[in-house]
Amino acid sequence: MRKQAPAAAAPAASLLGMASRRVWIVLGLTLAVVVAVGLLALNQEASRLSRPDAHLASGNDVHTLRQAWAVPDNGAHFPMPAVAQVNGKAVTLPDEWSRSQPGHKGGVWYRFPLGFADGAPADALLAALVDRACASVEVQLNGAVVFRSGRMVEPYARDCFGSHVVPLPTALLRPSGNVLDVKVAGYPIQRVTARQRAGGLAAVHVGPMSEIRQMADEQTLWTTTLSQIMGGVLVVMGVFSLGLAWVRRLNYMLYFGLLTLGWALMTGRFWRADLPVPNDAMEVLIAIMMAPMTAFAVKFLMGYAGIGLRDPSQQVWNHRVNLLLWAQCLLLPLSLLGLGVDRLFLGARIWFGVFTLELFLAIGHFLWVTGQGRRAEFWLMSAALGVVAAVLGIELSYQSGLLQTGGLHITHFVMPLLYAAVGVRLIQVYARALQSAEGARAHLERRVQEISVEIERNFNQIAELRVDQIAEKERKRIAGDLHDDLGAKLLTIVHTSDNDRISTLAREALEEMRLSVRGLTGRPMVLSDSLADWRSEVVSRLGQAGIECEWRNPNDIIEEPLSSRTYVQTTRILREGVSNIIKHSGASHVVISADVDLENHVFTLVIQDNGKGIPMELDGRLDRGHGMTSMKHRAKQLNGQCLVESGPGFGTIIRLTLPLEIATMQQVLSHRPGP
Amino acid sequence: MKQILLLEDLPEIRAWLKTLALQVFPGAQISESARIHDALELVNAVRFDVAMIDLGLPDGSGVEVVQALREKQPDVQSVVVTIHDDDDHLFPALQAGAFGYLLKEQPREQLAEQLHRISQGEPPLSPSIARRVIQYFTAQARLKPVQEPDTVTPHVQLTDRENEVLLRVAKGFTLPEIGVQLNLSRHTIADYVKQIYRKLNVSSRAEAALEAQRLGLFRR
Repeated sequence: MRKQAPAAAAPAASLLGMASRRVWIVLGLTLAVVVAVGLLALNQEASRLSRPDAHLASGNDVHTLRQAWAVPDNGAHFPMPAVAQVNGKAVTLPDEWSRSQPGHKGGVWYRFPLGFADGAPADALLAALVDRACASVEVQLNGAVVFRSGRMVEPYARDCFGSHVVPLPTALLRPSGNVLDVKVAGYPIQRVTARQRAGGLAAVHVGPMSEIRQMADEQTLWTTTLSQIMGGVLVVMGVFSLGLAWVRRLNYMLYFGLLTLGWALMTGRFWRADLPVPNDAMEVLIAIMMAPMTAFAVKFLMGYAGIGLRDPSQQVWNHRVNLLLWAQCLLLPLSLLGLGVDRLFLGARIWFGVFTLELFLAIGHFLWVTGQGRRAEFWLMSAALGVVAAVLGIELSYQSGLLQTGGLHITHFVMPLLYAAVGVRLIQVYARALQSAEGARAHLERRVQEISVEIERNFNQIAELRVDQIAEKERKRIAGDLHDDLGAKLLTIVHTSDNDRISTLAREALEEMRLSVRGLTGRPMVLSDSLADWRSEVVSRLGQAGIECEWRNPNDIIEEPLSSRTYVQTTRILREGVSNIIKHSGASHVVISADVDLENHVFTLVIQDNGKGIPMELDGRLDRGHGMTSMKHRAKQLNGQCLVESGPGFGTIIRLTLPLEIATMQQVLSHRPGP
Repeated sequence: MKQILLLEDLPEIRAWLKTLALQVFPGAQISESARIHDALELVNAVRFDVAMIDLGLPDGSGVEVVQALREKQPDVQSVVVTIHDDDDHLFPALQAGAFGYLLKEQPREQLAEQLHRISQGEPPLSPSIARRVIQYFTAQARLKPVQEPDTVTPHVQLTDRENEVLLRVAKGFTLPEIGVQLNLSRHTIADYVKQIYRKLNVSSRAEAALEAQRLGLFRR
């Protein structure tokens, strides 16, 4: 029963998660709808405002020709009036062939009567502006060719966004009955994959050269230059993304870069040159481009959402989606070829519909995945969804003929802006990641440095310890050798010599040796312990010699350390002094007082006897035979001093003062492993 | 007639020690050996009263023989005769059951005196040895509560008086001085020292047994 509780809780939690996710999705979709509606409204306004005639309504000098007589004909001139009357019809510009000349391929002559030019002054400089004819264009004034753009045989030109400025020489003008013939040679909508590339004529304006030129410049700015600038920006961003993807191995960056670059190349209007490529091939090529672009977009969205990174089942899906996307790239051209040249537009429309669907799915999925945690991405993508929806909606309705050709479409600018927004966000995310990575690296470096310092310190300590241990071992070996070899020999002399003096010397040598060994192997002693050892030895020696001894110690236990060297040397001095008392002084009472001055780190030992004192030498110095020299020498070696005061009758005082090497000894003690 | 074991590797010293032993124990039967191996054989064969054992021997440490004697002939008085005066060398021998120690280089009279005292039950005790004994028992007392209550060995503790004596020795007072301070006879002080040695040995053996048990050397 207990196990069921968490099992029941888990779905509840995920349900809760789902619910909150749904709320987020609804919020995101709302934002998307708001953005989309806003964009649509903006687009309407923009395309209305950007019509060349819209803002020229005030200028009376420029005449916009809206009515024309259109005759499908491939001839070099406007057909004979009889033919024109039969084949032609009156059209209102903008004229789309898909409505007025369904299925027609080749040339269509438009005749505009130029009544307002009748009787124009001879010095007037007139010009016509042929606005957006996505085809080859030829202009004749009163039957004389004044302008030609593109070939009049296939493949026709596809300069869709360029407008043509045609000067109308005044010399050709007649007093009355002036006509302007415009021949447009293009393709029917069935043979192209986008409506804007189908044959048609948007509008023709006639007016003074200067104003026409200004109009053309303005239009070029909006339709071409801006797009080129944006395309350039996108190219730079795409290359940057690719570089980033390459350096940091970020897949989604790679797809974003490819997408941006692809979009820039397709919409940047860099292809103004009229390529002599058959129309069908060109159209198929352009349509084919859309498949990988969609694939890049979908892959980017999936990668950015983090799909296929964690879950193996996701990886399977990821794989399937990949297959579908790349299969699509192959299927698109095949299907277009299968449909034939006359149904290119139909095929393209179906495919674009599919792509749109895929894109929406991908964005929806992205929103679903990021709805939980990554708020910034979520809002960005919600807005992006709105933008894409609006753009695709505009584009689709345009392609379906619901919107009029001509004018400026906001789609041209919104998509690059969207790319830029996403790109900026990507770079921001990347920069933030880089920053935190830098921080982490700096932190890591600091840690590594700390640790290596610690390791070094430990290593040094271990090395010191090891040196200590080796030294200790070596000292012990030497000590052992001394005992076994020298000790044994001295001992033999002690116990086999018949000469008392020799055996005494050997015994003293042995004691010396033992002290030396002690100095060699010596651990530092605690001062109290040293005092105890000295006391024990001195008291028992004097006791054996029948001399009364009074030992004065400081009362408290003194934990100050004493180096083995100091211990050994002090022992020797003390021994020498006691030996002197026993051998020479004839004293009956000895007072030994030890004192420690902890503040000045000084240790004092005073040995006072009531013997007969040390006799003077002839030079007034004390007798050297009493070992005074060696006692003084030893004290000096320890940076201390040994003062001897003596006079006949009042005994001898030996005053030994030694510094305590507390600091150095404590250091030694702390390094040494315990006994 | 005393049976004496003399273990010493240097022939001259051995000879000298023999005369010393004969001086202290006139008419004693002395079994000499120069190696641990021979000494251990002797321990198995002969019943001794006193053993004089050198520590540094060619085939090992005399502590082995002290231990063997302690186990096989608990009544024997083992005396370490050595050139080492430091507690690092002496303490293990005392733990193993030695009853005292003599420093070889001392004059014959002193050595004879000390040997005599030891045989009379008055072992020596130096400040450094006393300090080691104090350390040892302090460590034992700290360890004891951790062990299980039903350990095979009794908990060896020093009495207050024994501690008192030890502390005073450690401070550098001689045994006669301590006798005066505590108003005790020389023999009573000697008894305390003997007790201290005995307890040191018992406790050390118990510790060794416990260690062996823990390592699974005992099969019961």
